[in-house]
Amino acid sequence: MDFAVHVVDLVKVYDGRVRALDGVSLDVRPGETFALLGPNGAGKTTLIRILTTQLKPTAGEAYVFGLDVVREASKVRRLIGYVPQEMSVWTDISGYENLLIYAKIFGVPRLGREKAIEEVLEVMDLTRVKDELVKNYSGGMIRKLEIACAMLVRPKIMFLDEPTIGLDPAARKIVWERLTAFKEEYGATIFFTTHYMDEADLYADEIAIINKGKVVACGKSEELKHSLGGEIITLEVKEMPLKPDLVQELRRSGLVKEVFEGENLSVLVSDAEPALPNLMGFLKSRGVSVGRASITKPTLDDVFLKYVGTRLEERGRASEVTRVRDMIRRGERDGHL
Amino acid sequence: MAIFEKVSGILTMIELELRRLRHDRTELYTRAVQPILWIVIYGQVMSSVRAIPTSGVPYTDFITPGIMVQTAAFASIFYGLTIVWERESGILKKLLTTPASRYSVVIGRSMASGVRAVFQALIVLPVAVVIGVRLVPNPAYFVLAFIVIFLASGGFAAISILVASFMKTRERFMGIGQAIIMPLFFASNALYPIQMMPPILREFSAVNPLSYVVDATRGLLITGDVSNLLLDLVAIAIFDVVMFVIASISFKRIIE
Repeated sequence: MDFAVHVVDLVKVYDGRVRALDGVSLDVRPGETFALLGPNGAGKTTLIRILTTQLKPTAGEAYVFGLDVVREASKVRRLIGYVPQEMSVWTDISGYENLLIYAKIFGVPRLGREKAIEEVLEVMDLTRVKDELVKNYSGGMIRKLEIACAMLVRPKIMFLDEPTIGLDPAARKIVWERLTAFKEEYGATIFFTTHYMDEADLYADEIAIINKGKVVACGKSEELKHSLGGEIITLEVKEMPLKPDLVQELRRSGLVKEVFEGENLSVLVSDAEPALPNLMGFLKSRGVSVGRASITKPTLDDVFLKYVGTRLEERGRASEVTRVRDMIRRGERDGHL
Repeated sequence: MAIFEKVSGILTMIELELRRLRHDRTELYTRAVQPILWIVIYGQVMSSVRAIPTSGVPYTDFITPGIMVQTAAFASIFYGLTIVWERESGILKKLLTTPASRYSVVIGRSMASGVRAVFQALIVLPVAVVIGVRLVPNPAYFVLAFIVIFLASGGFAAISILVASFMKTRERFMGIGQAIIMPLFFASNALYPIQMMPPILREFSAVNPLSYVVDATRGLLITGDVSNLLLDLVAIAIFDVVMFVIASISFKRIIE
């Protein structure tokens, strides 16, 4: 069986200096929804751009449905749908016209073209605004149109770089419902990056976490959470952040398996109930006052924190991308001097 | 099949441009102001001075094709701004992941610009006619003149795509665009016959594509003298092919 995506020891060095990918290997099975998580600059977009034949890798191999993305790039391009992170529709024509132009670029046969366009417009709830200029669309409508463009050609695999960035939670949910339905109907594979943990958790069959150009963890959401092996105790502590030597001491104490520092103090323990009193005692004896304590099963956030060392900053990141996208849209008008 | 796909890719790019024009023609009108000033004011003033030998043709008539070609070339050179914007957005990235070959993207976009340029040149013509410029009364010549402008504009747009692949910002692009087009314009036969130029400029004029385009359109629209037409067309064809190839090669770097 050919993997939908098969990547072996992929390396990408920009300008001979910046090592964006540093030996990435991963496999995606056909029909799977695959999420790539990682902090900014981890190499997610670089990987997608290599897989979509825009960039040549410095070393290593990458295949899409058994086709080499460098040597058989033109064949690969017939199988893929791609939504880049940046805005990728023309704003001075209508939504319908965007779809029509893309259909023609992909050589969708005239027969059935109209029907295919109407269908994706319907699926993405854009029928009502199809004849309006895209520059009058909201950010969410533009994102939906971009996804519609990718669906239109019924690709075997869709590469979505932050497909739901800037959408409100309700719109995100709808987009994922439609993507999932599309995937089931046409047996498509979906490869996406996201900053929303819940999205990866809910919709991805398989998740890879990438950091500094390397895959640091890969598996099903449950497996990843399980790999932490235990429960999380979160304590409300006034004196955050804790002194570094106190954290060191806590690590060495054998009370906990892992310490995560954020707004609150989180620790990983194998069994929370007996560990909690010991932990409270330890902190109290060091003069740390503890407010509320809660026990939770590890979440994907915790997994991310363990493997990457920081939490994924959803909000700041999303607003930044939205801002850049808006700037590009505005640039459109003075772009035509 | 492959050829068919390329042609249809090029036609799609032209269609995109026409659809854009249909939605918004402001730019077409604002860009028409300058050439109209050239013809109506500069042309008429210089015409009354009679300082430039134009072998019997009134000066305003003489420069009308030159100004039309200039405005078409300008529109094409600045077409790269669209490309710069498309690179800042994700459109170019997406185009490069489609089955459309980069040749058909480059040639298609260039030809699309050619279509825009033809409209740009056409819009000047009624004004010229109103102030008394007399055209050769031959519809075939007329159509051919605009085909020449269309083809040549494609070449200039390819230069513009080439520049766009080096210039990362709009501001720089504007500067370079001016720096390319103004010398081409002033060192051409658009405003005065080549014989009037100093020898070194005359040499340059021989490799200046703009001169061939002006010569062809002037023959077809004003003088009716088409004895150089074949040479002009060959020069324009070479210009186009060279520019298309260079622009296509550099196009890949545009998104890296």
